[in-house]
Amino acid sequence: MNKQWMKVYIAALFEVLWVIGLAHAGTFLEWLGTIIAIILSNYLLINASQYLPAGTVYSVFVGLGSIGAVISEIVFFGEPFHLLKILFILLILAGVIGLKLVTDEEKKDVNKEWHGER
Amino acid sequence: MAWGALIIAGLLETLVVAAMNQYAARSSWRPIVIFSASFVGSLFLLQFAMQTIPMGTAYAVWTGIGVVGGTLVGMFFYKESRNWKRIMCIFIILLAVIGLKLLEG
Repeated sequence: MNKQWMKVYIAALFEVLWVIGLAHAGTFLEWLGTIIAIILSNYLLINASQYLPAGTVYSVFVGLGSIGAVISEIVFFGEPFHLLKILFILLILAGVIGLKLVTDEEKKDVNKEWHGER
Repeated sequence: MAWGALIIAGLLETLVVAAMNQYAARSSWRPIVIFSASFVGSLFLLQFAMQTIPMGTAYAVWTGIGVVGGTLVGMFFYKESRNWKRIMCIFIILLAVIGLKLLEG
């Protein structure tokens, strides 16, 4: 598997971990882990974006991150499965991914770029 | 209260991206200060919002608002395209955020 894409997947995994941490961390160690996960996910994402199209990278990242967060809260934290809620979350995802992909597409034509990701 | 914090957290995330791009354009200390302060502030508010709003919902709204804000900044300050597809995506995101707000109450 491509090394740069591997970075994106691991970044998404750390993204889910810090989201869980932000919502549930209680002890000092858990907070420390959360902070480390925040730094690692951002570092890996920015690093991979230097080699891959930024909008596509962000789309994959944010897609895996949000779906991971929703699945974890249902599986590990007893949040009820609410269909309409999940549909709205998927709608946000569709909008975000749409924006990012349209932006990548346009950048092929125009070489002026602004959209570095967080 | 939680929703207000969540929306401000998303807007701060926009500031993070904007500051990062400023820094990429010309390295100076000011964007770094703005970047760090808004990043920490954004996470702090997100954490607060997650005490009430389920984390999956909070995270999706936070990224959605951050991306919409970043796109609008690009359109208004950096002359990025105002292509109808991009504007439609912005509306879809905002619609979904409002839907989630109505569901969570």
